[in-house]
Amino acid sequence: MMYVPTNPLPRERERARRASAEGEGDRVGTLQSKPARPHPALRAPLSRKPLKAHYVSWLQVSPLALILITLFATPTFLFLVVSFFDYDRVGIYPAFLLDNYHDLLTTPATLRVYLSSLRFALIVWAITLFLGFNIAWFLIHHIRSAMTRTVLFLLIAIPFWTSGIIRTIAWIPFLGRNGAFNQILMALRITSQPLTFLLFSDFAVIITYVHLFTLLMVGPIANAMSKIDPALLEAARDAGASRWRTMVEIVIPLSKTGITLGSILVFTQVMGDYFVVKTMSGGQSASIVSMLSTQIQAMEYPPASANAMVLVAFVAILVAAMMLVVDVRKELVK
Amino acid sequence: MDARFDVELVSVTKRYANATAVDDVSLRIPRASYCCLLGPSGCGKTTTLRMIAGHEAVTDGDILIRGANVTVAPPIRRGTAMMFQSYALFPHLNCLDNVAFSLKMRGIGKAERNRKAHAFLALMHMEGFAQRLPAQLSGGQQQRVALARALITQPRVLLLDEPLSALDPFLRIKVREELKRLQRELAITFIHVTHSQDEAMAMADLMVVMEDGRIRQAGPPREVFEQPTSAFVARFIGGHNVLSGDRGPIAVRADRCRLGTPGDGPHLSGRVAAVEYQGGVVRVALAIDDGDEISALVPDATFYRAPLEPGDPATFVWSEQDVHVLQSA
Amino acid sequence: MLAGSGRISGPSADRPWTFYALATLFGAWLLFLYGPMAVIYVLSFQGPNGGVTFPMVGTSLTWFRDIFRPEQMANLPAAFLRSIELAAVVSILTVIISVSAGLGFRRRFPGSGVLFYLAVASLVMPSLLVGFGIGLGFQVLGLPHGLFTSALGAQLTWTLPFGLFTMFAVVNRFNRTYEEAANDLGASPWQRLRYVTLPILMPGIIGIAMGAFTLSYDEYARTTLTIGTRNTLPLEIYALISSATSPTLFAIGTMTTAVSFLLIGITLAVVLRMQRKRRQLAGEQ
Repeated sequence: MMYVPTNPLPRERERARRASAEGEGDRVGTLQSKPARPHPALRAPLSRKPLKAHYVSWLQVSPLALILITLFATPTFLFLVVSFFDYDRVGIYPAFLLDNYHDLLTTPATLRVYLSSLRFALIVWAITLFLGFNIAWFLIHHIRSAMTRTVLFLLIAIPFWTSGIIRTIAWIPFLGRNGAFNQILMALRITSQPLTFLLFSDFAVIITYVHLFTLLMVGPIANAMSKIDPALLEAARDAGASRWRTMVEIVIPLSKTGITLGSILVFTQVMGDYFVVKTMSGGQSASIVSMLSTQIQAMEYPPASANAMVLVAFVAILVAAMMLVVDVRKELVK
Repeated sequence: MDARFDVELVSVTKRYANATAVDDVSLRIPRASYCCLLGPSGCGKTTTLRMIAGHEAVTDGDILIRGANVTVAPPIRRGTAMMFQSYALFPHLNCLDNVAFSLKMRGIGKAERNRKAHAFLALMHMEGFAQRLPAQLSGGQQQRVALARALITQPRVLLLDEPLSALDPFLRIKVREELKRLQRELAITFIHVTHSQDEAMAMADLMVVMEDGRIRQAGPPREVFEQPTSAFVARFIGGHNVLSGDRGPIAVRADRCRLGTPGDGPHLSGRVAAVEYQGGVVRVALAIDDGDEISALVPDATFYRAPLEPGDPATFVWSEQDVHVLQSA
Repeated sequence: MLAGSGRISGPSADRPWTFYALATLFGAWLLFLYGPMAVIYVLSFQGPNGGVTFPMVGTSLTWFRDIFRPEQMANLPAAFLRSIELAAVVSILTVIISVSAGLGFRRRFPGSGVLFYLAVASLVMPSLLVGFGIGLGFQVLGLPHGLFTSALGAQLTWTLPFGLFTMFAVVNRFNRTYEEAANDLGASPWQRLRYVTLPILMPGIIGIAMGAFTLSYDEYARTTLTIGTRNTLPLEIYALISSATSPTLFAIGTMTTAVSFLLIGITLAVVLRMQRKRRQLAGEQ
């Protein structure tokens, strides 16, 4: 058969290969259909390639790695170290004491603040999840024109361009006793007296959080939803699933990554908040970070660091728990 | 340097961590021939093509193009050009810039490369589309631009990865003819991967049937169709019935089977399983004793003189000279 | 832009009731979103004697004018400029670094897991802590805080993870066959990057640039402890709030929104014009 040279016997092949590697001529006696020997000059060790690819990747991620290590990992490590230091009104002293942690964890105020923050976080999470999911579904599934979808997305994203601080304090004139909302309510004769609980209360804090952070849910969830193949929904319909069942059995599982990402973002933003609670609760609640800030301003670095470490540990556990549910890494870096 | 062949594969192997995609494949493709790599999905035909192109690293073995060993050479130094299954026209460039791309990479000036690109677009009858973006073209048009882009590099071997799969049946036949004509005019080798045996038989000078990473049979289409060496090839190539004869597996062409009675010579009886009208012929499928099915292609006039229905008893007969002994499974 | 899932509800163009329910929710959401914004816009025209809450005491442009007058308490124009400068630098650096890293992450390499989780950690770590850490670090090393040193670094820890994760999404959608085609046609790795990969990724990259700019511009917590003495706009605003709240703040808010609308409007107009020009060229043939 002219097209497929019969393979030389294994022994012959090995000899032929060694011969060509050494650049010798065609051996007499090898099968007539053996193709021409490979030209030595063009051979190269095949093992070179895989290693090279790694180096390229390392080079490409090195600026990122450098910045994250020096500006994030190192300071975090610094926290850890300083949290064990001793201090007094004058300065800080290197030591290894557990006092800071002890003081922190045994103060009832700490527990109160953490619980308060956690409570806010859970409520805000639930609300933003509900709103974010529905808005994302509306935009991705119900809006058919790409133009309209883009415009609507821009509409809900533009307020983000205004400073969060300004958007927060804008709620004050809105919710205040003489504020716009009360004026509208009274004009519509829904109430006769202005509602006072609207401002400087838990209600105000939660409203503000929802206002600021829902977009953080909409984004990742919408992104995940856009990857769902419409044929899947049609197949579910064919199999007799109601709209609700389709949502539960198909859409929600396939949006898992987006929901997890959004949840992580919202949770950490609320737990790490400083400004909103301060402004909108009227002093009734404190936030963990504002506690920290006070300590920092008083230059009490060791207890501040201990506080920071506890918060970090707390957030890390939360995030890790959420990431156990969905392997975010696998989903993102396909 | 053996210049009788455009492409030579010498014991080429591609191994992945847990599978071997191409297993010790050797092949010689003569100058200026149309070669089709044919086989079911997963047989290694596309991997082989990509190794020839230089887009896939070779685990073992050598690839020679016009006698030069290109096993580790980058794609551009091989004298090959590839037409991708998805065409892969750069979406951000118009057709002219797409075609002129390789020249731009070589540093050729704008005026000259545009002139050449226009010429190649004209060759593909696409001059009017020079300023259009790929997204504004139909599938067939995109393919012609992709061809122009590949041919401007003046390759010795053009590699086509399932070029006709995305086209509708009518266009497919038209493009088939065009590709064949193009290959003759350019007098270079085309290597064309497909899973359609009709396509391969219609176009190939050299048809290479692959299975599980190995070449099962390679030769001109007539040779492969009339003398399949294995049961696999006989089945895959279509139009054959694989039966067990006294001395081993045999193949009988479906169009050489007639409807008859048991006394007419070699025969098999059973019940009609299906009747398929195919225009000039009718394919009658017969369910025989051991549960298998065999087919006969009966000329339509003959069939409709005494038509059969599924469930009717029937006998297929053939002549002794139409029995082809298979060498392996 | 994100792709939609297309027609689902059946052969007719009928909308299910869920569409109307969700549309109402969306409308309500828009009202909720822009409600306080409307308050800002209205109150920015507050009369010279009015305060930060209703009622309106006449209307005027006093507060807009106040923005441009450097006062003792706050130096808004300078702060604004600093914000823009810093945001521009952060934006450029974020693009370069996260695009590079995003491309690197296309392969599995030793250490990729660690780096990924480091980026996640940097993103979820409460901002003030990061600022605190960097501020402390600089202090310990005896280095002075500065706009383009410590503040820049602090902001990057925030924008880079965003940039990286956006790149993941962008790169996932990218079809590597284009790069193979470029190889086939003789492009060197640099040529491939410059003429094929980057141009096709460009919309995503612009998204990262705009995102990073916004994040930096609005950033408060990480910047505050690392900035030294000269403030960016958010910090200046905060200082304003703590000292004396006045409608100037709202004037700033109105202006910012107006600038955003303007920028987006310009971008859309430019994009539309480019598309029209392209269609024209194609049509002429």
